[in-house]
Amino acid sequence: MELVVAVGLIVFKVALLIAILLLLPLPLTWLERKIAGHMQQRMGPMRVGWHGLLQPVADGVKLLTKEDHIPAEADRFLFKLAPILALAPPFVVFVAVPFGESVSVLGTEITLYVSNMNVALLFVFAVIGIEVYGVIFGGWAANSKYAVLGSLRTCAQMISYEIPMGFAVIGVVMLAQSMSLLDIVRAQANVWNIVYQPVGFFVFFVAGLAESQRIPFDLAEAEGDLGAGFHTEYSGIRFAFFMVSEYAIMLLTSVLAVILFFGGWNGVLVPLPPLVWFVLKVAFFVYVFIWFRFTFPRYRYDQLMAIGWKVLLPLSMANIIITGVAFL
Amino acid sequence: MSRALDRIGTWIGWAFFADLANGLALTFGYMFSKSVTMQYPDKEKWLPYSRYRGHHFLKRDEEGEIKCVACELCARICPCYCIEVIPYEDEKGNRRPAKFEIDMARCLFCGLCEDACPADAIALGQQYEFSSFSSRDLVIGRDDLLGKPGKAMTGGGVVAARLNTEQDVLVETSEPQGYNWWRNIRRT
Ligand code: SF4
Ligand code: SF4
Repeated sequence: MELVVAVGLIVFKVALLIAILLLLPLPLTWLERKIAGHMQQRMGPMRVGWHGLLQPVADGVKLLTKEDHIPAEADRFLFKLAPILALAPPFVVFVAVPFGESVSVLGTEITLYVSNMNVALLFVFAVIGIEVYGVIFGGWAANSKYAVLGSLRTCAQMISYEIPMGFAVIGVVMLAQSMSLLDIVRAQANVWNIVYQPVGFFVFFVAGLAESQRIPFDLAEAEGDLGAGFHTEYSGIRFAFFMVSEYAIMLLTSVLAVILFFGGWNGVLVPLPPLVWFVLKVAFFVYVFIWFRFTFPRYRYDQLMAIGWKVLLPLSMANIIITGVAFL
Repeated sequence: MSRALDRIGTWIGWAFFADLANGLALTFGYMFSKSVTMQYPDKEKWLPYSRYRGHHFLKRDEEGEIKCVACELCARICPCYCIEVIPYEDEKGNRRPAKFEIDMARCLFCGLCEDACPADAIALGQQYEFSSFSSRDLVIGRDDLLGKPGKAMTGGGVVAARLNTEQDVLVETSEPQGYNWWRNIRRT
């Protein structure tokens, strides 16, 4: 009986997580278009539903009913595999991400995470690294020059930004003395890591922008020069996969930023339920992502490389050394 | 001295991403300013000015006689060949159009027909909402053209989109210069 309940609980949590992650892109696209509109003194979607609230549903239906086109010269197997490879890792990663301590429902304590791995941080970075294969395969398999260029850029960008990102979080791991995301949040109960690790946060955030391929680092799909980059040839539901994956990664980066540097569900001053604090902080970061997108131009390719190797990498190294010295 | 200070200030600003912060502040400010969108078919529409070139109309003189003398000058000058005029002689011995057809689907609203007309009989009026699902419905005959609304008397105002402004409705606009497009646009 115990076992059944435990397994049922995990299945329920995973199902809930998947449902939330699949549905969240809908309001997020709406928000993104609304924010974009108002930043440009437009209104954004207005016609489907109240203030265009049903617009994402309409878009979704359109995407699902569109022809699923595969180019004649494409590598069909890889072409079909790529969207799945891009979509699955962001979902898998959330297994290791805690959203709070626990809530008691009907007298039983239910933890707000699927699993508390002691190497959660490593797991997150390892799994999210797989996502780039989706992008690379997608660009390669489509057999189109824009797509290949897009995925080549992604390749180089991922390699140069994973490293500073990994280094940036080492400072956090040193402070918490643990790689478990749960322990990292618990270690920030009094003081958030951002106080000790401003440079680490800066490096992490910039690298996170690059990882989730958002402006100013969205070279992989630079609309201006590459058509749509690696997903130029994708349409219909496979394109929707890439979209959902992009939003899931944006969400993941925000969640990680909150957990690693902004105290997770620990609140300040205002006593709110921990989960509310968590959601508010994540929402703030998601907003910042969107805000950046409609403020900044895209970096040139060589600038991107220069920032990655000449600025972020030394900064993250220095951060580790200084944290280590201070820790001693 | 002050130049050196300026340089230092620029460097400090650069180190703390002052330029990026400026950009972010600007877009943030815009986000909370009023948007300039006119929600045309849903909420409001813009009244055309008197010089607006919309749907053609044929004029009558004081006796109610059709002004057109069927000289076909408009048909000749029209760059799209979309006017067709067939003349006849009426009871008073005047030359008048028996058939006067404009293919609105091909018209480019250049207004040359209005300029060419020696009898001041044709002009481009204020009507612009005449889209149609069939291009055949856009071939407008003489009698329809006689009934089309004329030039706008006032213009530039913004009214509710459902308001019918065609049949001699005069709309007083609060702004005599017309709608101020710059009203909600921040200029710094
Ligand atoms: S407005 Fe120009 S295109 Fe249209 S009927 Fe007159 S002359 Fe022809
Ligand atoms: S409308 Fe004017 S130009 Fe055209 S046929 Fe009549 S009189 Fe001539």
